[in-house]
Amino acid sequence: MSISLQSLITMVDSWLGEGKRVLGPKLVKPDFVQYAWLGAGSELQLEGFLRPANSIKEVVFPRHETLYRYRVDGKTVQLLEEDFKPVETLVLGARPCDAAALPILDPLFNWDFRDEFWNLRRKAVTVVTLACQSWDEQCFCTSVGLGPDAARGSDVLLYPLGNGHFAVRLITDKAAALFGSYADEDHPDPSPGPPVKFAPDAVKEFLQANFESSFWQENTLRCLGCGACAYYCPTCHCFDIIDEKSSRVRNWDACQFALFTLHASGHNPRKTQPERQRQRLQHKFRIYPEKFGEILCTGCGNCTRNCPVGLGVLNVLKAVQHG
Amino acid sequence: MDNVYRPYLMKVLEVRQHTPDVKSMRVAFQDEDVAARFSFRVGQFGIFSAFGYGESTFNICSSSNWRGYLEFCFRKTGRVTEALWDTEVGDTIGFRGPYGNWYPMEAWERKNLIFLGGGIAMPPIRCAIWYALENRQRYGDITIVYGARTVKDLVFADELDEWEKHERVRVIRCVDPGGETPEWKGEIGFVPHVFERANVPADNSVALVIGPPVMIKFTLPVLDRMGLRACDIYTSLENRMKCGIGKCGRCNAGDCYICKEGPVFSLEQLQKLPQDY
Repeated sequence: MSISLQSLITMVDSWLGEGKRVLGPKLVKPDFVQYAWLGAGSELQLEGFLRPANSIKEVVFPRHETLYRYRVDGKTVQLLEEDFKPVETLVLGARPCDAAALPILDPLFNWDFRDEFWNLRRKAVTVVTLACQSWDEQCFCTSVGLGPDAARGSDVLLYPLGNGHFAVRLITDKAAALFGSYADEDHPDPSPGPPVKFAPDAVKEFLQANFESSFWQENTLRCLGCGACAYYCPTCHCFDIIDEKSSRVRNWDACQFALFTLHASGHNPRKTQPERQRQRLQHKFRIYPEKFGEILCTGCGNCTRNCPVGLGVLNVLKAVQHG
Repeated sequence: MDNVYRPYLMKVLEVRQHTPDVKSMRVAFQDEDVAARFSFRVGQFGIFSAFGYGESTFNICSSSNWRGYLEFCFRKTGRVTEALWDTEVGDTIGFRGPYGNWYPMEAWERKNLIFLGGGIAMPPIRCAIWYALENRQRYGDITIVYGARTVKDLVFADELDEWEKHERVRVIRCVDPGGETPEWKGEIGFVPHVFERANVPADNSVALVIGPPVMIKFTLPVLDRMGLRACDIYTSLENRMKCGIGKCGRCNAGDCYICKEGPVFSLEQLQKLPQDY
């Protein structure tokens, strides 16, 4: 058995009809596919692109969310906390490098202090992943232990069969009701994926040995500090908390911004872009693995594809190898 | 849902202005049940907030023996602290915490305590001083060296006088050259030099050093020359924080999240961290 594109479209429409949300690849302008909230099944785009430009992290970690609202009335304040009930959500057509980011981030949102915004949204999300058939020179999933049909973070994997049909591989029970009847015992061989470009252990060793090093100045001074790498990244999760319109809200933030670590005194522990680039790499390939046993990178290549000055994880790591 | 970002509502009981731009506040839990069960250890911090303006991170500068309320101190520097500056007795503010680790007050028992502070760094030392004075018999001699740029920049100056009245407590006040007034009876000079001139006995001592990076930089060699070991010198790091609970990603120094594994570190621990703070 396999599932047809038409059945997937029908599935999307029936979910939307039940008031659930569906995030999937959508052609938002010519030659530009993004993960977007679908308004109809017909918007679903499952072929003809490498990967959506953004990531799926927004389904569990919105770029802007209210933590609680309050009412200030003279000298008194009332906290207005609504019951947080995330809408049931289907991600249809995630790439394996996007799906894997969710379990990678679980421990961060749960060490000591459990972030229930993250946890409840995670529970409400079903991830249907579309195995990759192609890759570009920015892809490096195979260097961080993933691959074109890596199952991590996915509830179902779909393999394009090329005839408008997709082979279905159930990964968890979560999607059994939806996809169980289409599931196949066998699934096609995946594409081989991009060649391995580096060894994470060697990168970790380099980072350990080169905290103080001219390497950062020489190779990352050209960073503009725009933060695009973090915003497109499936695993970057840094955030800011601010007040607006009687709400305390959380917004995405990025370690490449000059204000990110600026002290009130004017002192800034990371005062230049090379120090901020070093932090990004250290965090992903040394700090996070040491803390949580996971590389904070899925090899999607988004940071390199979207960097205006040709940096991003892969290019910096290439410099490591040549350095 | 258990919302880890939800603050406690606090009633402002008292506001004290210490300098032209530094105030401290005493705040009490609005919810009596929370007040009854709340406890913390000296050295921990909280995230305090002015509703409508945002959150800021401050040390809890009251002693952990004081029940029913807590105190914090801030300099007017930005959006949140300007809003807190305008907060009056009876107003409501927010507090999350306590977060982070604390001073090892038990390990410091039977030792002489040396407190070295500069400027706005007195509040995170003050909580430990009061705690030690309230358990006076557990600690040896107490030396407090506190400096500020000018006489009017000294924070908790009235409490310095009070501490001095206790037995086996030596208080040394200093201001930067040019910062003195005609009536000034304290020392003139920078904390590291004034401290070195004071010839404080170093045997069986621990030091808590908090202040601007430049003060710490020049004070550590003095402590070293006195023979204090790196494991007996402590500080509190005050990296910028947003969540306070190890998630928002900005306070780390190398692989150490200051909000969770700090803010209190011994020099021995600091020497293992990269220069990222």
